[in-house]
This record gives sequence, structure tokens and C-alpha cells, in this order.
Amino acid sequence: MGQSTPIGTKTILVVEDEALLRFDVIDFFEDRGWRVYEAENAEQAIALLDRHGEIRVVLTDVQMPGAMDGLKLAHYVRDRFPPTLLFVVSGQAPPSATALPARATFLPKPFDLNRVLRQIERSPVG
Amino acid sequence: MGADTRDTCVRTGPGSAFLVSRTREDTRLRSLLDRLRTALVARRPSFPVRYGVATLAVGAIALLRWALFAEFAPWFLFTPGVVVVALLLGGGAGLWATGLATACAGIVLLAVPPLGALSLIQVVASTIFAATTAGLVGVVVALRHALIEAEASRAALARSAAAAEEREAFVTSVLASSTDCIKVLDLDGRLTFMSEGGQQVMEVSDFNAIRGCPWPDFWTGQGHQEAVAALTEARAGRARSFVGRACTMRGTSKWWHVAVSPIRNPDGTFDRILSVSRDITALRESEEERDRFVRLAETSTDFIGMAQTDGRIFYLNDAARRMVGLDGTDLTALTIADFFPPEQVATVAGEVLPAVDRDGHWSGELTLRHFRTGALIPVLSSLFPVTDSEGAIVGTGTVTRDFRARKAAEEELRLLNGELAHRLKNVLAVVQSVTRQTLRNASDLGRASEDLSARLVALGTATDVLTNASWRSADLRELTARSLAPHGEIGTRIRLDGPDLTLQPQVAVALALALHELATNAAKYGSLSNDAGRVEVSWQVQGEGNGEGAEARFRLEWREQGGPPVAPPTRRGFGSTLIERSLRSYFGGTAGIDYRPDGLVFVMDARLSDAALVRDEA
Repeated sequence: MGQSTPIGTKTILVVEDEALLRFDVIDFFEDRGWRVYEAENAEQAIALLDRHGEIRVVLTDVQMPGAMDGLKLAHYVRDRFPPTLLFVVSGQAPPSATALPARATFLPKPFDLNRVLRQIERSPVG
Repeated sequence: MGADTRDTCVRTGPGSAFLVSRTREDTRLRSLLDRLRTALVARRPSFPVRYGVATLAVGAIALLRWALFAEFAPWFLFTPGVVVVALLLGGGAGLWATGLATACAGIVLLAVPPLGALSLIQVVASTIFAATTAGLVGVVVALRHALIEAEASRAALARSAAAAEEREAFVTSVLASSTDCIKVLDLDGRLTFMSEGGQQVMEVSDFNAIRGCPWPDFWTGQGHQEAVAALTEARAGRARSFVGRACTMRGTSKWWHVAVSPIRNPDGTFDRILSVSRDITALRESEEERDRFVRLAETSTDFIGMAQTDGRIFYLNDAARRMVGLDGTDLTALTIADFFPPEQVATVAGEVLPAVDRDGHWSGELTLRHFRTGALIPVLSSLFPVTDSEGAIVGTGTVTRDFRARKAAEEELRLLNGELAHRLKNVLAVVQSVTRQTLRNASDLGRASEDLSARLVALGTATDVLTNASWRSADLRELTARSLAPHGEIGTRIRLDGPDLTLQPQVAVALALALHELATNAAKYGSLSNDAGRVEVSWQVQGEGNGEGAEARFRLEWREQGGPPVAPPTRRGFGSTLIERSLRSYFGGTAGIDYRPDGLVFVMDARLSDAALVRDEA
């Protein structure tokens, strides 16, 4: 389904309030030639998504300060930007399948960034 | 006592004596009277027999007299016969015999001159005979009546004696078979009699050993006072009872119920006192035992209740009433089902109670319902049949434990476990991040290993400080001192200065890592790399933050002095990146390193509320 996003677009939004973890993910993707946007909470994330339609992958933590947690953000992204690849990260027990939006991947903390990258590369859009 | 009487001391029972005396004449007369009794009283002949026998007797005497004496002594022999007739057959027959005898004598007189008639003298003599014999009959009749009366009174006496004996024997057997200790005391309270059964329960082997002993002396303490008081009352003519503890003669301690009363004579006076003691030890012990069980149930903190077979409640202890909010409510209108929420009633009726019937026991978790608030109360319940003394099932009993605290603790433990797992995973994620960034920026593997070890130690230090405060906060001074302690002596090479401040937990780890990086850098290139340099770490809170728009700020400075000249690094590694980038992010303020030639300076400035837990100032 390559019609919505140009093939080869490597743009990711990392939503994580814990800076130590966020920087690691940012550095990882930047090192591999990705354009990385970062947000500390859902509000910042939504603003970035609205501004940057080319964002193809969203990786969000579940536990975040603010009115909207990562799960709600994931649903928002799935509704507003259906083709987006979604990764939901949490240190707590995985949410039920129904709580996750469709075609979202749950990643328990700590997770392997290389596997995330391989999954992105294998996905149809990539 | 007279010489003509003998004493018969019939011992009908210990201390009870009855005295009976009779005359000796009475005894001697007995055989004659016994014979007469049948003739006179027992078999009194009918009228024709009496008069027939009298006629025959007189006729026989007349014939005998005629054969012996003919005309001589015409009245001879008749008198004794008439007397016997009167004695045996009564006055009527006696007078009839007198008349016949007079007639027979008259017939004889007709045979002597003057023949065919009676002379005056003969008439007078006949009249005298008739009169004296009739008088004699009167005397004999009087004697006869006296004999009959004597016999009647003797028989009555014998009957009453027999009755008395029977009564005596009955009283004796009653006294002997009674398990009460029945005692007779004199007015001074001394023992004069004790029943046979009483001697057994009092374990008395020889009553004579204690006869005459003062009865209150068998009591000690309170019992002695009660006994003395009861005696005083009895002496005043009043009955009194008390319950006390006393030992038997063999020293067995027992509980007694004692009733003391005067023994009244028929005229209302009294000179003896009755004391009846009943052994109530078993009753008392069973009462005490029952009382203990009642108290056990009453004071238990578990719910204890009983219901009849139809489900109606008949007992709840205080803990049960408190647990379900039934203080002071009438229980009789309640059934088992009232104690459970609707969805649990079916379980209880369909599974629990049948299991109690089938297996004699059921235990497991149930949910009760609070009567006033309707709140659900998780409980661990044990149910069992309640039987009467014959073993028949009369209902269902339960001992039920409030499981709310346990459930809450389990829930808390579950949450704690979840929280612990969450934190552990976060820490692992941080370790993963630190590791990856260390490796990413490392020039060689040896260096990377060294840096990573030191950073993990710094991470551990931060974790220590947080753990001490249950991950709720971290004391800034403690965190600073512990993070920097591996790099130089706190107080001499490294000086700390600032007010007491409690950091938010989420910034503590980043600050600890940043301080570690600064200190590592100082040890390699800065003021801690020689023997003279120092580091001043200071923090301040600026502004009170109580006015609108003017928020209090937190400012932390790292100032190196006395080190070798400083040159900005050619390559920014993880250390400085982490310091500036992460602290800015965590504290939401500014953070920057200034590589001044006379010493590195790091300044961080943030809103106090983003950095620290702001306490309510008094």
C-alpha cells in the first residue's frame, strides 16, 4: 500500500518522557539515517504528527504524564493516520489485544531496537 | 423409767432412735385374750345360734344337775353356766340363760313339797337367784365390753405401731438413698446425725469420729462465714441456703448447695437444726465449662453464628454483628440468605449447604453483605452442622473470618509486584540505554567497559537513595554526596552547599548520572586530576513562588577550581551530551557546561516544582 507514503521515507516519531531512554532511540535511528522527531508527551506528539505528514513510524511509551497516555495516542494515530506503523512500549503488563489499536506491535521494556528496525523494514510500506 | 417397762431402742438409722414401751401384764394376758378374741369379737354368732346355744347349755346343765343332785340344790351349777354364756354370747343370751335357769330350777322346786306349787320361800329364793344371776350377767357383760374395748385399742395400737414402723423404714430408706448429705445439728451447731448417703458423698468412714464436732468447722474462708450465718438464722427460726466450696473428709474439694433450717416440733418449738448439702460440683464445672465456651464464642474476633435447619438465625456473636452491621437488631427475623448478596445466595443454597449436609463440612471463600451499607465483605468461611445433645442435627454453624484485610494485602502485594516489575524493567531499559550510548561513543572496548562499569555504579547509587525513600523522593544532599564520594573526599576536595531539598524521583537517576559524568571528567581532566583542585557543588532556591507568575526556581552549580587549564573537548561524548540534554529534559530548564580556562562550570536552572517536591511551608 505504497500510495500514502513515498517508498523509502525513513521518518519516525519517538514519544517517551524518560529522556535517557528517548535519546538512545533517537541516536539509534539517526545513526541509521532516519529522520527522528521526539516528543515527551502525547500533546507534543500530536502537534508533530499534524505538522509532519511524512512520519511513517510512531513508537510510543504507554506511561506518560499528561491527559493522554501512549495507548490513547496510538488509537488517535491509527484513526487519523491509518497507514502509520505503530509500536507501543511499556514496562507494565501488556494491554489486552482489544485495548491495542489494529496493527500495533506491543514492545515490553526493555526491547531490542534492531528487531524493531527489521520489522519496519519488512513491513509492506518499507 | 419404771421397772415394769423395758426400753426398746430401735436403731432405724444413725442417730435416729425410737422408744417403745409396753406393760408386762399386757404380754401375759396376750394368750388368753387371743383366744377370747376369736370367740368374742372376730366370730360373734348370729341371734338364733346365740340363743340356741344358751338354751342348750342351760338344758345340759339342768340335766347334769338333775342326774347329780335330783331335788337337792335346784340352782346349783347354773350360775357358772350363765356367766360363761354371758361372757361368750353377750348380755341378751346371758339374761335368756338366767331366765331358763330360773325356770329349770322352778321345775325342780315343783317336785319338792309343797308339790305342784311354789312356797313363798321358794318364790323368794327363785327371785333372789334370778336377780343375782342377772346382776352377775350385767357384771360379765361389762367385763366383756371392757375386754372387747381393750382388744380394739390393742389392735389399734398394733396397727399404729406397724404404720409407724413402716413410716420409719420408709424415712430410713429415703435418708439412706438420698445422695444429699442430710445432717441434724443441735442448737450449738454440733453434728448429731448424718444420713447414710450423706456419709458416702462426704466420704465419712466413721460418723462417730465426727459426731459432736461443730459443723461450721468443716468450712473454710467464705464458706465458714456462710455456715455460721446460716446457723444463726436457723437458731432464729429461719431457713437459709448458700453455695460454697468445701472438702470432703478425704480432702476432695467440692461445690455444695447447703440449706439450713430448724426442725420444728408439732408445737412449733425446735431444738434441732437440719442441714442438707447437695454436691453440685459436676453442675458447677459443666456450668463453668459452658461459660468458658460461651466466652470463647462471644469474644472471638471471627464471625460465629448458628442457624436452624430452616435457615433462621438464632445466634450471632458480637464480632459477627459488627462485621455485617447488625448491632442490636432482632436476629429471629433473619435467615442465612439475608447475609449474602443475591449472586451468592444461589451458591450458598445450591452448593455450600448441600455440601455441609453431605460431607459434614464446607470451607471456602464467600462474600457477605453489610446490612446497612450494602458493602461486600470477602470472607473465609467454615460451615458445619450443629447437633443437639442426642446428635440430631438442629442447624448449621459457621466460623467466618473477615478477609478484607487479607484481600487488601493480597491486592497490595499484587500491585507492589507489578510496580516492582515495572521499575525493574525501567531500570533495565535505562541500563540498556546507558550501555548502548556508552558503546556507541566509545573509542575502544576497554574504555567502554570501564565507563560502563562506573556508570552502572552511579546508577546503583541513585537507586539506593531512591529505595531508601521507597521510590517516592530523593534527598538532594544525600544523592550528591553518595554520587560523588567515589571521586573524592566530600568536605575537602568536594564541597557541598545548599538547603535541604527533596528531589522528584524521576530526576534523581539523571542527576546522579550527570554528577558522575562531571566528576569523572574532573578526575580525568579537571580540578580532581591534581592534588590541589576542588569542586564546589552548590544549589539554591530562588524566589518564594507564592506570588502569581513568579515561580520559585531551583539552581544548581558545579564549579571547579585549582585544576589544570581547561580546554573545550574536541569531541562531545556521552558524558556531556547526557549532562546537558537529559538534565534539560528532566528538569525542564536550562543546563549548560562552560569550559572556562580556570575551571569547568556547569549551571542548571529549572522551576523548583519540576525538580523538587515542594513542601508546604509553615
